[in-house]
Amino acid sequence: MKKNNLQWGLYIIPALLVYTVFMAFPLLDSLRLSLFTGNTPQTRSFVGFGNFVRLFTDKTISVRYWGAFKNTWVFFAIHMVVQNGLGILFAVLLTQKDMKGRHTYQTIIFIPTTFAVLITGYLWKLILNPVWSGDFFTSIGLGFLSYPYLGDTKTALVTVSLVSCWQWLGIPTMMFVAALRNISEDLLEACALEGASKWQTFRHVKLPLIKPVVGIIAVLTFVNNFNAFDIVFAMENVNGAPEYSTDLIGTLFYRYGIAGQHPVGIPDIGLGAAIATITFFLLLVVVVPTLTKTQQGGY
Amino acid sequence: MNKKTLFFAVLLLLLVLLPLTAQGAKAPSAVTLTMGSWRADDVEQMNRVLAEYKKVAPDVTIRFQPTNPPDYNATLRLQLDSGTGPDLMYARSYAAGEDLFNAGYFADVTDIPGVLQNFTASSLAPWQTANGRMFAVPFAAVSHAVYYNKDIFKAEGLSIPQTWEEFLSLAKTLKNRGYTALANGLADEWDILETFFFGLLPNFIGGAEQRVKYERGELKINDANFVAAYQAMADVAPYCPKGFESVTYNDSQVLFNSQKAVMFVDGSWTSEVYKDASFNWGVFAIPAPKGKKTAICFHPDMAITMNTKTAHPEEARAFLEWLATKEGATIASENLPVGFFPMINFKITLANQQANEFLSLNAGKETDARFVWPALMDLYAPMNQAVIRVMKGQITAKQAADSVAALL
Repeated sequence: MKKNNLQWGLYIIPALLVYTVFMAFPLLDSLRLSLFTGNTPQTRSFVGFGNFVRLFTDKTISVRYWGAFKNTWVFFAIHMVVQNGLGILFAVLLTQKDMKGRHTYQTIIFIPTTFAVLITGYLWKLILNPVWSGDFFTSIGLGFLSYPYLGDTKTALVTVSLVSCWQWLGIPTMMFVAALRNISEDLLEACALEGASKWQTFRHVKLPLIKPVVGIIAVLTFVNNFNAFDIVFAMENVNGAPEYSTDLIGTLFYRYGIAGQHPVGIPDIGLGAAIATITFFLLLVVVVPTLTKTQQGGY
Repeated sequence: MNKKTLFFAVLLLLLVLLPLTAQGAKAPSAVTLTMGSWRADDVEQMNRVLAEYKKVAPDVTIRFQPTNPPDYNATLRLQLDSGTGPDLMYARSYAAGEDLFNAGYFADVTDIPGVLQNFTASSLAPWQTANGRMFAVPFAAVSHAVYYNKDIFKAEGLSIPQTWEEFLSLAKTLKNRGYTALANGLADEWDILETFFFGLLPNFIGGAEQRVKYERGELKINDANFVAAYQAMADVAPYCPKGFESVTYNDSQVLFNSQKAVMFVDGSWTSEVYKDASFNWGVFAIPAPKGKKTAICFHPDMAITMNTKTAHPEEARAFLEWLATKEGATIASENLPVGFFPMINFKITLANQQANEFLSLNAGKETDARFVWPALMDLYAPMNQAVIRVMKGQITAKQAADSVAALL
């Protein structure tokens, strides 16, 4: 018995080793780094919570942090509503029995997901730029659509978020489709026999049954958006132009922790690690309860 | 087993002996130096310069190893801290470079023959400490001016503006005739500040002498001259492309290159982009407002220095000495990419016509570095945002100047 236990443990070792070296250790090390200042082992010195204090009390830094914090929530909220809302809607439509051309629609919805963010971001940037697309819009009588969406502080963040929603819509759609297909035919037949409307079937039968998937998607959306960086990098710049209105925690972290501020370009690794640490705990605080809430009684 | 041990023993012996034999055969041994740089675009050009140097010093091979530009400062620092820094390297101007000198990584090159004699004080200043020590040999500067489409100017019967007011009315004329007058946009942020605002600033506030007064606080950075400079940015906004808020630096280049925009206020480093342009183009200085002298933002950009911990100090020093001679500087300048100009005092004629045109703008005018570089780098980001907001019409020129001044 005891021997068996040991053998069981043996099989985990490779995975555990890889996980420890490439995931757990860097994570813990970045937590440690957030308590230090200086960019190299030789110049590093312990400052306790100094980086955190600076992040929230230094006027120029804290303004940027709270700006990015707010933008990230907006970015997340738009994804939650638009991307996941449309995901459920499309999934329900795609699983209707009388739906024609299901595969075609499924492919169309999923295709953007397979493109590189840098490419879709760049293409959208050209489409949304009046200099390049203005003439086309005017020629088809839609001149009012030509507007510098990415250059206006009021529209930039929403535009970037919507492009990101468009790109990733395929993922929640596919997951919802898979979950809806898993629902037993008997149940749906029973609903039909009892005279439940489509909405009632959805609200009281389908939705509760796919709750675990909704939970997983909410968590994935949350985690991905709090780590988002690439779409802003592709469509605006690492400053979150215009006027930091698309600055996310991801871009803020990149500026402080990795690249440094243009034009001096010397990063402040400790401060960057402090930003990452806060994000880590924030994710933990939100993700764990969400998972326990939605996963119990599921599968 | 025995065989194996023997094999390893021989191998070990050879390894131990190798340096000895190598040293034994020293004589005129070949030395390889590495050179760190942020100019990843210039590998071809720098290799030509270094190949020329090989003719001067046949035993010395210098290998050019540039880093991705935004990562250079951090990478170099890391290399130097861990003792793996290059033998020779590009040095950033002002504080970023001086930091590394103070940390003991950059060599003191003050006594290299020619360094103090062959450069003007303003060329030395960016790589000079307060007590006059030089930590790098000045290498190249960049300039800023208005690129213009000569063909369209000719077709429309327009001439180069001599004052800022003329520049504005020229832009207005172009706009009225259906052209996009200026290619500049705001999306990438840095370009509007570095090329346009810092480009025109010396015209409004004066050159280095005045700049120093702002740095010392004798003059306020929200005085009338500064407000006028911000106002100038607000005044040009209507002549930028439609939707200039989302026009990137790249877009601007394409607009100018495809003749969709007639003028483009930009840095000299861009000139190579238009070498195959289907039209004639030239450059003129951003003109000063009436009653003021036109000055040029001629920005010291690159210098080269050596590592104090290099294994080959003599060879590295010899290269720096060569750079400070007329011969070396000429060869280097001829091979530099178009738009990077020698800083040495000797008269150097460049092969490229447009490069010469750019350089000739300096004649008889005062030149200065980009305003914030020497001492006020912290104001870079706030000034950038102020310029953008003024151009979008969100704040007035006075508010822009005040918002930056409030930070001092």
